[in-house]
Amino acid sequence: MLWGVATLVFVLMRLLPGDPATLMLSEGGGSATAVTELRAALGLDESLWVQYQRYLFRLIRGDLGTSLFTHRPVVVTIAEQLPSTIELALAAMGVAIVVGGSLGLLAALRQGTWVDALVTGLSVVGVSLPIYWSALLLIWVLSIWLGWLPATGQGGLAHLMMPALVLGFASSGVIARLVRASLLEVLSQDFMVTARAKGLGEGVLLLRHALKNALIPVITVIGLQFGFLLSGTVVTETIFSRQGIGRLLVQAILWKDFPLVQGIVLLAALVYTMMNLSVDIVYALLDPRIRYD
Amino acid sequence: MLRGRHLIIWLVVGLVLAGGGLAACQVSVPGTATESHTAVPSQGGKLTFGLTLAPSGLDPHVDASSELGIPLTSVYDTLIYQSLDGRFVPGLAERWEVSEDGLVYTFYLRRNVAFHDGTPFNAEAVRFNLDRIANPETKSRKAKGMLGPYERTEVIDEYTVRIRLSTPYAPLLDSLSQVYLGMASPTAVQRWGVEYQLHQVGTGPFLFKEYVPNDHLTLVRNPAYAWGPEVYRHSGPAYLDEIVFRFYVDPSVRALALESGEADVMGELPPQDANRLKSDGRFVLYQVPVPGQPLQFFLNTTRPPTDDLRVRQALLYATDRQSIVRTIFQEFSPVAYGPLNSGTTGYSPNVVGRYEYDPGRAIALLEEAGWRDQDGDGIREKDGQPLTLQAYLMSWGYLPEVGQMLQAQFRSVGVRLELETVAFPAAVEAAGQGKHHLAPMTFSGSDPSVLNLTFLSANADGGFNWSKVRDAELDRLLTEGVQTLDPTRRAEIYAQAQTRIMDLALILPIREYVNLNAARASVRGLQYDRRGWFPWLYDVSLEP
Repeated sequence: MLWGVATLVFVLMRLLPGDPATLMLSEGGGSATAVTELRAALGLDESLWVQYQRYLFRLIRGDLGTSLFTHRPVVVTIAEQLPSTIELALAAMGVAIVVGGSLGLLAALRQGTWVDALVTGLSVVGVSLPIYWSALLLIWVLSIWLGWLPATGQGGLAHLMMPALVLGFASSGVIARLVRASLLEVLSQDFMVTARAKGLGEGVLLLRHALKNALIPVITVIGLQFGFLLSGTVVTETIFSRQGIGRLLVQAILWKDFPLVQGIVLLAALVYTMMNLSVDIVYALLDPRIRYD
Repeated sequence: MLRGRHLIIWLVVGLVLAGGGLAACQVSVPGTATESHTAVPSQGGKLTFGLTLAPSGLDPHVDASSELGIPLTSVYDTLIYQSLDGRFVPGLAERWEVSEDGLVYTFYLRRNVAFHDGTPFNAEAVRFNLDRIANPETKSRKAKGMLGPYERTEVIDEYTVRIRLSTPYAPLLDSLSQVYLGMASPTAVQRWGVEYQLHQVGTGPFLFKEYVPNDHLTLVRNPAYAWGPEVYRHSGPAYLDEIVFRFYVDPSVRALALESGEADVMGELPPQDANRLKSDGRFVLYQVPVPGQPLQFFLNTTRPPTDDLRVRQALLYATDRQSIVRTIFQEFSPVAYGPLNSGTTGYSPNVVGRYEYDPGRAIALLEEAGWRDQDGDGIREKDGQPLTLQAYLMSWGYLPEVGQMLQAQFRSVGVRLELETVAFPAAVEAAGQGKHHLAPMTFSGSDPSVLNLTFLSANADGGFNWSKVRDAELDRLLTEGVQTLDPTRRAEIYAQAQTRIMDLALILPIREYVNLNAARASVRGLQYDRRGWFPWLYDVSLEP
């Protein structure tokens, strides 16, 4: 699968318009001769087949190459930016699960009341608010107006809170709606009536029987939402001036930094694969029936 | 709970915005160096400087962005400096001589100068630096081009070097006064290789302490600094203890970072934010003119219908630049009339007032060229073809907004303008291949030779000559301009070139570039060098 992704990204990057050598000289200016010389120095004047072979050969040896723009190994460049994105994605995931989960639970338990209507309304708002807009609003309120949190940059919990809230809130809507629907379905099952008839307390009933069963579809969506969060980090990292892989990818694509784009896309493919795998493992842990299938 | 708080906050925000927002205070101090300096500058403190884009690479010999020059101007010294009035003054070179034929430059170096790592600065170091830049393996994106027809550097003695050129090259002094040709420690460059950009060592007033890509860059004071050029206002070590540069890629958060107190100085503010800060007494707005080329659209001379001079001229007359500047750039930028901004060496005022907005004249020219509206749809036709033009735009620099205004203005004289807003690589490729009628591009630079990049016929294929002009007269003037050392004669030549460019209507100039920076009022002594981008932070102090 990784070979397929590696080839696809190689081809796509070459199909997109724009010559890296011309782009590299576009900032400072350069003559036509300088463009030709730079193209040769970067090995971009060779045939695509030769470039592809060299790329695959390096990849097999675990070498992702050198970034055209930073001149540094792609692995190092990615490794520098990755921790920040992981930190943000995990924190946002936490926000999404806590906020989305509790709202969904609340809505399911108060089905048909104003609480349910409010949660449904809020989750629509959460899904439809552009990150860009909510981020600027939050900066304005929490940093400029109230002065509680730093507007931009990174380092420590204070810097992480706003980006995680913005990104997590955007995902929490989907989770809230799903938890609500799933929980309502489980609550109406026969085994719940039986459990209640046996005299189990509401707390145990809800946590041990209802929630555990309702979580299975939710886990799938959380897995998928992680992908959404990774894409959301692009905008979030830019607005909050944070380091990160999302911002790096956008820069790399805009400058047609082939090796860097290839490296990041391969990494993303790897993360998705790992994410799917871990979702499957969590399934099995939650539901013994899946283990026996 | 959280959502409830959100709702309340939104309501409050709505009320505040409806109430008129922040209170307006005093008028700003524009320009570069207009503050009063009666008080003794205070020593110490940390300055946070907001940069715009995070540079892809940070080695001044290798990379090209203006953003790298902003911090590194304080790390490196150059052989010579250019004063704000355009004179070349001693830097690491105490004096210099130029041979009669313009091929040999001899520099007599300052003694007792040391790099931050203790390596002595001498003739060998100069040779090492210039040879490093010229080496094709360095893959220099700017500095190599700035060295022009560089052949080699000869070490005459420990403190004398001779730079040899293959042809006369008048921009050399200008180049040598820029940070891209700053003097780096040979020891550090050899030790770190490609990682040198994270461990830079110069001779300047600040030491490079730490660079975390996409996050921050920290400089600390060089306590040994005793060789500042005369362009600075004081001598000895700098006032500030530390400078931290942070990257604010998104334009909409720049003013917010300043207002929240996270940054003390911020670069490239959007005009509407600059307008707000201008009337806020807590900040000082710096409107720094940037020399080089203006915001301009190259008109493709090889693709019909803009291959017809009359059509190109008509487009110039049809453009109401005043209203574009007023509406989009909020009068922070002067209208541009020619291919050079007025702060550029060799700028010719002869082009001012040419092609002033005159829709009547535009219509007459189009009629003369045979373009008439035959079917009454408001768009002119000729031989059954409508007068439709394509412009490729990038999404930054307010180009889409400028494009929309042009579209409306052209429409009123019967020209349809189709706007294609595409990613930068696609725009560069489209214009390089001549698929456009109009394509925007600009290069900054204090020397008029910046024109050679975009108007020499040698650069029409594969370079940045996007009007695709091949004009023998222009080629002659531009080549002569680069090789003529006498400043007066050189200015005459470039004046003719500017007139020629506008005679041929190769570009549609819109506005001169002005770098809108703002600083907290407590930041004292801030001024920008002649290139308009690079602050001289050596003289900056923080008022307690």
